[in-house]
Amino acid sequence: MNLNPFWSMSTNTVRKRSDGEEQSGEQQQPRASPARPSFGKKQLPSIPKNAVPITKPASPAAMAQLANGTHASYGPFYLEYSLLAEFTLVIKQKLPGIYVQPSYKSALMWFGVIFIRHGLYQDGVFKFTVYIPDNYPDGECPRVVFDIPVFHPLVDPVSGELDVRRAFTKWRRNHNHIWQVLMYARTVFYKINTMEPLNPEAAVLFFRYDKDVQLFKSKVVDSVKLCNSHLFDQPKMDDPYAISFSSWNPAIHDEAKERMFTHKRRPEDHQKGLQVSGLSWVKPGSTQPFSRDDNPPLS
Amino acid sequence: MMMASMVANGNRDGRQGEALVLKGVDPETCMIVFKNHWAQVVKILEKHDPLRSNTSSNMASAVQNYVEHMLFLLMEEDAGQAGAMGPILEFVVMENVMERLFLWSLRRQFTDDMKLEQLKMYEMIVGQARQPLLHHKPVLRPLMMLLSSCSGTAGPEVEAELVSLLNQLCCVLAKDQSVLELFFHTSEDQGAANFLIFSLLIPFIHREGLVGQQARDALLLIMSLSAENQRVAQHIAENTYFCPVLATGLSGLYSSLPTKLEVPGEEWHCLHREDWLQMPTLVQFLNSLEFCNAVIQVAHPSIRDQLVSYIYNGFLVPVLAPALHKLTLEEVMTTTAYLDLFVRSVSEPILLQTFLSFILLHRHENVHILDTLVSRINTPFQLGTVSLALFQTLIGLYCEDVMLQLILRYLIPCNHMMLSQRRVVKERDFYSVSAAKILALTPSCCSPEHSPPPLRQLDSILWSKGTDNKTEESFLEEDGSGYSCVIGSEIYLDVNYLHYLYNARLGISSCTRACQVWSAPYDGEDPPPEEYQPSALEEAGARGRQAQTVNPKRSHPHPRPRPPCPPQTTDPAPTNQLELEWDDSYDAGPVVPPEAATAESSRPPQPPAAEPPKHIQEMRRTAIMLVKGSYIEESDFQDDVMVYDLVAKKDEDHFKVSSLQEKDEVPLSNGLSLPPHPTNMEVNSSEVTKGSKEVKAHVADHNSNLQSPLATEVGDDLMDQYEELIRTLGSDEAGTGGSSHVKTVDKEFRNPVVTPMEEDEVDFSSFSVDTPELEKQHSSLFGTKLRSGSTRSHSVPFTGPFVSVLLSRLENMLDNSLHVNLLLTGILAQLAAYPQPLLQSFLLNTNMVFQPSVRSLYQVLASLKNQIEQQASTKKDFPELITSAQHCLLARESSLKGQDTNSGDSRECSPLEAGRMMKSSPPPQPKTISLARTEVFATVLFTEFLKELAAIAQEHSILSHVPMEE
Repeated sequence: MNLNPFWSMSTNTVRKRSDGEEQSGEQQQPRASPARPSFGKKQLPSIPKNAVPITKPASPAAMAQLANGTHASYGPFYLEYSLLAEFTLVIKQKLPGIYVQPSYKSALMWFGVIFIRHGLYQDGVFKFTVYIPDNYPDGECPRVVFDIPVFHPLVDPVSGELDVRRAFTKWRRNHNHIWQVLMYARTVFYKINTMEPLNPEAAVLFFRYDKDVQLFKSKVVDSVKLCNSHLFDQPKMDDPYAISFSSWNPAIHDEAKERMFTHKRRPEDHQKGLQVSGLSWVKPGSTQPFSRDDNPPLS
Repeated sequence: MMMASMVANGNRDGRQGEALVLKGVDPETCMIVFKNHWAQVVKILEKHDPLRSNTSSNMASAVQNYVEHMLFLLMEEDAGQAGAMGPILEFVVMENVMERLFLWSLRRQFTDDMKLEQLKMYEMIVGQARQPLLHHKPVLRPLMMLLSSCSGTAGPEVEAELVSLLNQLCCVLAKDQSVLELFFHTSEDQGAANFLIFSLLIPFIHREGLVGQQARDALLLIMSLSAENQRVAQHIAENTYFCPVLATGLSGLYSSLPTKLEVPGEEWHCLHREDWLQMPTLVQFLNSLEFCNAVIQVAHPSIRDQLVSYIYNGFLVPVLAPALHKLTLEEVMTTTAYLDLFVRSVSEPILLQTFLSFILLHRHENVHILDTLVSRINTPFQLGTVSLALFQTLIGLYCEDVMLQLILRYLIPCNHMMLSQRRVVKERDFYSVSAAKILALTPSCCSPEHSPPPLRQLDSILWSKGTDNKTEESFLEEDGSGYSCVIGSEIYLDVNYLHYLYNARLGISSCTRACQVWSAPYDGEDPPPEEYQPSALEEAGARGRQAQTVNPKRSHPHPRPRPPCPPQTTDPAPTNQLELEWDDSYDAGPVVPPEAATAESSRPPQPPAAEPPKHIQEMRRTAIMLVKGSYIEESDFQDDVMVYDLVAKKDEDHFKVSSLQEKDEVPLSNGLSLPPHPTNMEVNSSEVTKGSKEVKAHVADHNSNLQSPLATEVGDDLMDQYEELIRTLGSDEAGTGGSSHVKTVDKEFRNPVVTPMEEDEVDFSSFSVDTPELEKQHSSLFGTKLRSGSTRSHSVPFTGPFVSVLLSRLENMLDNSLHVNLLLTGILAQLAAYPQPLLQSFLLNTNMVFQPSVRSLYQVLASLKNQIEQQASTKKDFPELITSAQHCLLARESSLKGQDTNSGDSRECSPLEAGRMMKSSPPPQPKTISLARTEVFATVLFTEFLKELAAIAQEHSILSHVPMEE
């Protein structure tokens, strides 16, 4: 992940949906290593060689949030690590059918995709973006915006934004976590709620579900089809880590698939092959040193 | 003699010439020539029996001439079809050629020259024959006879040749185990069921140079053979003195090491490769230790276990333990440095376990070695630094047993925190709150915003403690930009913090990986705190220690916790072992006359000699008892520094001291009940007052460095601490009056002090100042506090002596020299990188609420910040000095980096990179600042240490393997 955006935090570009264009200038600079580390592996922020010096002064807001008399210079690190911690949690949750990946440019923007496996929205593949407020975790709850507005009572038919706030009226640090937002985004497609809809049409149709099953269903099916038909489109954001789909290309994907399957077996190999450098002769359940009766393994 | 020289040449040129000559000659002709030669030889042998008539030298050389040709023919002969013997070999076997030749030489005067000749003859044919010769008894038997006749009293040339031949035979054995049986059988024919090749090699185990190396290589071949061959293993373990020779040999070699090291400088704290390479005796010791390591690695478990047991009982306990309690600071410091080097040199887990179990569990004079070592951290002398370095090594092992004994056992009961905090132990610090709090302690004079512009442009001050520079470099390579980042002038982004994060990540993840083999997560739930309350722990500890043996089979009698038992008398003392006098003969070449070995061989080897070697006994005799100070809470350690200061004032206090010593026979605690007097501390560790001149000199040095701030504060501090002590102890008995408090204290102090008086050797008269032996008697100065676990009130939360002592030294950071602070902060950072939530939460979680009596790292850091702010506010030139110190450290850092490119031995140096900078000569400085301005350097280091800790805390928050709290 890249620290760079945090320096420009005060410019607030990150939160704008149009930041793709705004930051494209920087984007065109040659990147030495756009390759992303594998999931769950955090890599130190690489500072671009030719990073443009930020000349704007830090906004008072940004300074203000650094409580505890902390030096401003560490603020970005705290935010970065808070988000990394959140991301680590997401990985741990293993949410079914949901994949997210923070963007290259900003840890405050995560790309995601959700696969709906059954129910009305079965076979739907919806790409979305999570926007996290830059005063996280003290701000409002993160926003979830679908790339293509899905036909759903809680999804704004124009902006594609999911109504997350109804589930997280007040974002509480230590209590609320981003994985919960993602979980909510998934649940929405399985348990449909029509209260105070963002998409009244869908809500009304769904309300009349009993009478007009076919109409609602067909709208949903159309929407799912529409979304899926745009699956292979270029990602909306111009970001190296944006999620993009392409059709199956054995030359590329077979190998990747192979690796994914071997990856599953790796943990055991890992333990066998790698020489563990640690030592222990403590019998489990004891707190005495050298309490194990067997000899330590020789090899 | 001729044949010898011919054979010697024949190995190279001669043989090649001959081979060329022989090429194309048909086998039948060769056979005819061979038979003719033999016929001639036989004629001579029959006519000239050396016993009856004097064999003329003419005859002898004639025989040699023939033999020489015959041997070439034999060597060059190919095996027959399907592995059958070639005709010449068959003839040799049928006619018993080799034996007859050997017997003939034996009947003449069997001089060294003749032995040499015969040995070379065999070396040649064994090494170069084209068909296996050793399978045939008529060849093997005379060889064995020759070998046994060469053992014992031979000149160095014969020895060299003998070992070379033995080595060759072992190579043959390793390749072709079928010969092995024959080696045993042959011996049986001689009436001794031994493994001659092996026995002959034993005396050379500890030899220097090529001979020793060859012998050890050969023995290793047999050792790996033993792993597969039960018979060999059994023979070695039961019928040979291999293990005792090897282990007690270490003792012998150890005794020839310098007892005092010439230390290059005050900052020196451990033996680096370049140090010990200069010391031949140490090189030799390490060679033998490495050999033990290798044997344990490859040998059969029965040999392995036996060797480990002998090393424990024959070296560690009788030699190293007393050496750790020697007479002078220098000697003890030297021993500690050796121990550190040994631990770093050993790689085989079982051997490491042996060393560790010695360090962690062995009691010398009824005090745990570990307690002694821990208490020494607090000596302001070089001993303290060297002890720190030892603990850095120990912590770097990622060994659960070590961490358990040092720290974790005190944290498991969770008594150090408020009950409500137990659930916090496993909590993840989502928002880097701890890191922010730690960084908020950055002194205002060092805050990044206040840094003068030139420093901001500089790379960074990076202390790569705990990691080696390689990773550091790879980071820079990967990222190429780490240093070239241009940052806006308004927001100063601390670039070097990135390096700390990176290093923290490396440290934590390697530690986490290493700890996967641990038995428990130590997360406040497993092991369950309820089951390991201190009282339960003590019992379990006693039981555990009693039952504890490294291996039941290894039968080393472990010292029991039952006091007071002189270690020697608990050991069974077999007598026959002593007759052999292993120790005295090790340096002097062959140790075991094979006769002795064979004579004893029917008996299994006795358990290791309980009697320590002579030189050790002598050391013992001159050594004196310790007056064991009692050990109470951490105040005890805090006070040590002041105690040493008091030593310096000994002359002034002469009067008081002697008056005190008169009272020694009565319970000493009375001194304590008179709080406001500085001599209290002398009571607590009155041994200190016996300090030798050297010690005093040290103290004086030390004080001049410190500018004696202590001297003036001692009184007050002692009072405070005393009061605190009272409060701590008194808190158990709410509502009791002051007098009962004093009684409690009395009890605490009385027990341990009284105990030594019950021991017979204790001679309190030796304390009197004018005892002539006084000079020798300050051993207990760096000796020990008895951990009076039984007297400690269980309800007083305690995080262990190690943590106490570390925090105490850290608290004195402003007075510590730079290298001490580097070591200290390095060790704390090492500890902080451990992933166990108990440790992590104790060291890094700033939100955790501890019991009032428990001192936390954060508290110490906060008090340091205050001290620094105070300094900064009173000294006008402080910011300027800080800048100079930063420049100075940067220069050192970069010169160190340059130096390190050639360091090959990473295991040797890596944990101490930061400390190593001290070895470099002072680099050019923009503005000179004396290293004696410890408070300035400490301030800079403190700021960097905060970053290091914060980075570790942050990395923990995202790497933590703690399962979700939800």
